[in-house]
Amino acid sequence: MISLPLAISFDFLTAWEFWIGVGVLAGIYGIFVLGLQLNVGYTGIVNFGQAGFMAIGAYSAIILVVEVGLPFLLALLLSILITMAIGVLIGMPSLRLRADYFAIATIAFSEIVRDIAQNARGLTGGNQGTLSLELENDVFFTDPWFKVSDWIAENVLDPIGLGGREFENLPLLIVVWIALGLLAIGMTLLIRSPWGRVLRAIREDEDAARALGKNVFSYKLQSLAIAAGLGAIAGWFLAFNLQSVSQDNFEPLYTFLGYAILVLGGMATFGGVLVGSIILWTVLEGFRFLDLPLSADKQAALRFMVVGVVLILLMAFRPQGAFGKREEMVLGD
Amino acid sequence: MEGGEAIGPPLGVRAGALDWARRNPAWVAVGVLAIIALLLIIAEGLQPFAQRSVNGLVAGSYFALGAIGLTLVYGILKLVNFAHGDTLTLGAYIGFFFNVTLGLPIFLAILFAVVLVGLFGVATEKVMWRPMRRKRAGMLQLLLMALGLAFVLRNAIQFVAGTQPRALDVDVTSTYTFLDLTIGRTELYVVITGFVVLSAVAWMLRSTRLGREMRALADNFDLAETTGIDTGRVVYITWFLAAGLAGLAGVLVVASSGSLNPNTGFFLLLPIFAAVVLGGIGNAFGALAGGIVIGLAQEWSTLVFAPEWKVAVSFVVLIIVLIIRPQGIFGRERTL
Amino acid sequence: MTDARAGGKPILNVEDVHLSFGGIKAVNGATFDVREGSITALIGPNGAGKTTLFNVITGFYKAQAGEITYNGESIFGKPPYAITKRGMVRTFQITKALGAMPVIDNMLLAAPRNPGENLATLLARRRAVRQREREAYEHAYELLRTFNLEDKANDYAATLSGGQRKLLELARALMTEPRMVLLDEPMAGINPSLGRRLLEHMERLRTEEGVTFLFVEHDMEVVMNHSDEVIVMALGRVIARGTPEEVRSDQRVVDAYLGGSSETDVPEGPPTPPPTEAEGGVQGG
Repeated sequence: MISLPLAISFDFLTAWEFWIGVGVLAGIYGIFVLGLQLNVGYTGIVNFGQAGFMAIGAYSAIILVVEVGLPFLLALLLSILITMAIGVLIGMPSLRLRADYFAIATIAFSEIVRDIAQNARGLTGGNQGTLSLELENDVFFTDPWFKVSDWIAENVLDPIGLGGREFENLPLLIVVWIALGLLAIGMTLLIRSPWGRVLRAIREDEDAARALGKNVFSYKLQSLAIAAGLGAIAGWFLAFNLQSVSQDNFEPLYTFLGYAILVLGGMATFGGVLVGSIILWTVLEGFRFLDLPLSADKQAALRFMVVGVVLILLMAFRPQGAFGKREEMVLGD
Repeated sequence: MEGGEAIGPPLGVRAGALDWARRNPAWVAVGVLAIIALLLIIAEGLQPFAQRSVNGLVAGSYFALGAIGLTLVYGILKLVNFAHGDTLTLGAYIGFFFNVTLGLPIFLAILFAVVLVGLFGVATEKVMWRPMRRKRAGMLQLLLMALGLAFVLRNAIQFVAGTQPRALDVDVTSTYTFLDLTIGRTELYVVITGFVVLSAVAWMLRSTRLGREMRALADNFDLAETTGIDTGRVVYITWFLAAGLAGLAGVLVVASSGSLNPNTGFFLLLPIFAAVVLGGIGNAFGALAGGIVIGLAQEWSTLVFAPEWKVAVSFVVLIIVLIIRPQGIFGRERTL
Repeated sequence: MTDARAGGKPILNVEDVHLSFGGIKAVNGATFDVREGSITALIGPNGAGKTTLFNVITGFYKAQAGEITYNGESIFGKPPYAITKRGMVRTFQITKALGAMPVIDNMLLAAPRNPGENLATLLARRRAVRQREREAYEHAYELLRTFNLEDKANDYAATLSGGQRKLLELARALMTEPRMVLLDEPMAGINPSLGRRLLEHMERLRTEEGVTFLFVEHDMEVVMNHSDEVIVMALGRVIARGTPEEVRSDQRVVDAYLGGSSETDVPEGPPTPPPTEAEGGVQGG
């Protein structure tokens, strides 16, 4: 009698809660990767510090509310500015460098951010970098968000029958995807503008851009700063989603996953980012439904191995990804 | 053929000094190190400084081994090999397998680790890099492939071996004391092994024809190809050596630090990269020197900062080098 | 060191410039000036350092010594984009048409003073942006028409033939509304009738708008019949200058061409600042 080593569970069709969660992750990382696309796909700079920017965005927003006592929206706004400023700071010494050097410099930056989050107790307080979102008794950083979320649940979802417990996270899904959609449209318009035209020229041939009077360095800085801002926004949504932040949410792993999304969806297309993110997270999380006789650790490792293999194969045989154009893969040639 | 110095208007003493500094970067580096050392000795005392220096040499020996490999394949790949750190991890786990799981003595385990990881390096060349070179793949493609490989490697190791920390079957308690300085017995072996291998590799690179060819390849692949070097053969040998050294470094790291997990190698990539850039990318001797300097710098920093910030030191060194002298100590200022 | 001919003040002054890389002296005390409103040819055997000198003048290489003055202002050591913004534009020996972008985009990129290229004004001054784009489109089409490229406006530049790409690069350079244009072998690879059109356009710009042209050329017919002045380089320095007739009969020039072997004495470096590996070293060219 041969027993099947793998059993696929078909519960997933009805596990709303699970799939809403996947949708939220896809949305958050969609915003995250919009920044990567601007950098890699349109400017030709290989930013591996995006997880670091996400961390700065999340931590600074929380700290500004919890420790400094700023109003919610102001804190969110300031956290974007802080993250962008740090992006510029990091960019100044490192953007003169070649793509792969810059990549490693940004990984270093991202790791330093994590180091600081983990070790600078004075700043991040908490346990090994896990930041408490609580201001005082029962008052949380995420309270204003929940007001919005509850409002949506009551006034939009309940009336159409989606008010149940399993749809708890639906408001977040909606808000994240609206934000993602608006940002994606904004970025697309930006890249089609004369400013975006300069970026695209830089990606293809920096010297040609210089010869035409463009200050290449300044444009690269701007591109990095914008990506940092997008990373920060993704950071807040992550905080809303997890309702806590810890430095392991910002491991280089997540930047690498971002690149997998980038490659899947294709270079030089913001729309592709959305598709790539959905595909990646569906597959990654969908794995959970394969009842493999393996421990959780091993399953996680297997999932990521598959991501790595897919990345290698795509680069070898279809580097432009699903929706990219072949001409766009010109970096470094 | 007109060679000669650039003729410029008289620029004064200060500019002359800067110019000398530009042309003698090694001495400047030595000078900077000496000044820092002096300051630390004055501030913290000779014994603590010397003790840290001993620790620094231990770390420096495996950084140097990793750095030489990274710099050698740089010329072949035309980029920094992201998967190099995980190659170290691979070596460490193979060493663990032979040493702990199979119970072989550590030196035998090291041998297996070096050879098997070396062969792995050769395999990646044959299966991945050579075909991509033939396809004239761009840098971004290669970079992402290296990234993918790093991912696969790290997670494959995790899949097979799990995430719990491992340790090698080595003596972690006995120490030697000499002149008021302590060094663990295993650490001493690590340093000795490291330096012996480094010397052998340095000799090979400098004095044998193969070594010269490898250096030429690492320095400027296309130029080397035109000078009649049998690049196919040399490339494979370079990969074997680079990966093998990484594997060795991996085992040595775990032997001296006592703990191994799937992320060990990746976290060493930063100091190793800092060492490579410091020494001048593409330059094997530079990588050697760079590795030792980074090892020392990291340990010296613990005299002043808390130990958690050790890795930040590499980062700072990296940034400083990239700002002041991006070609590193031994790199050439211009490429033709 | 002023060798300016009567009738035009020098717009570009190169004085005692020196550059070596890798132990080779590429530019060895080059000194000359270019009269405003002239069409000046820069000639010399292969390896004389002409393209290298172009790279130095336009800021792609930094010389080790010397002085370069453009329009009364020192441009020694200034970055390329700053020099282009001051009205000096160049073309490249190996064309740098942006293949992954349409021809018209290549042209639009070159339009100077475009508020749309600045993030702040892009968002704040919408009307000015739209207007400048419209103007740029018109100017671009005009130039494309002159060079017979208007039909290809919406095609990717990579689909152009070699000669067409050269013309695009020239059109693009003219789009920047320059006061001085440095052309690196503009005639190479273009068929004679188009080449003639190019020269007519250059001469017209020179006469009507006082634009100065300095070009490197090997085609002696062009040099002799279409330039006002000729500067001759060999082994990294200027060995003769004057009108085409004067130069043609100068013995030193003859010697340089006949005596100099076809082996390069000085490699023409790549048109990027010779940076370190870290900064992205060897690139095209």
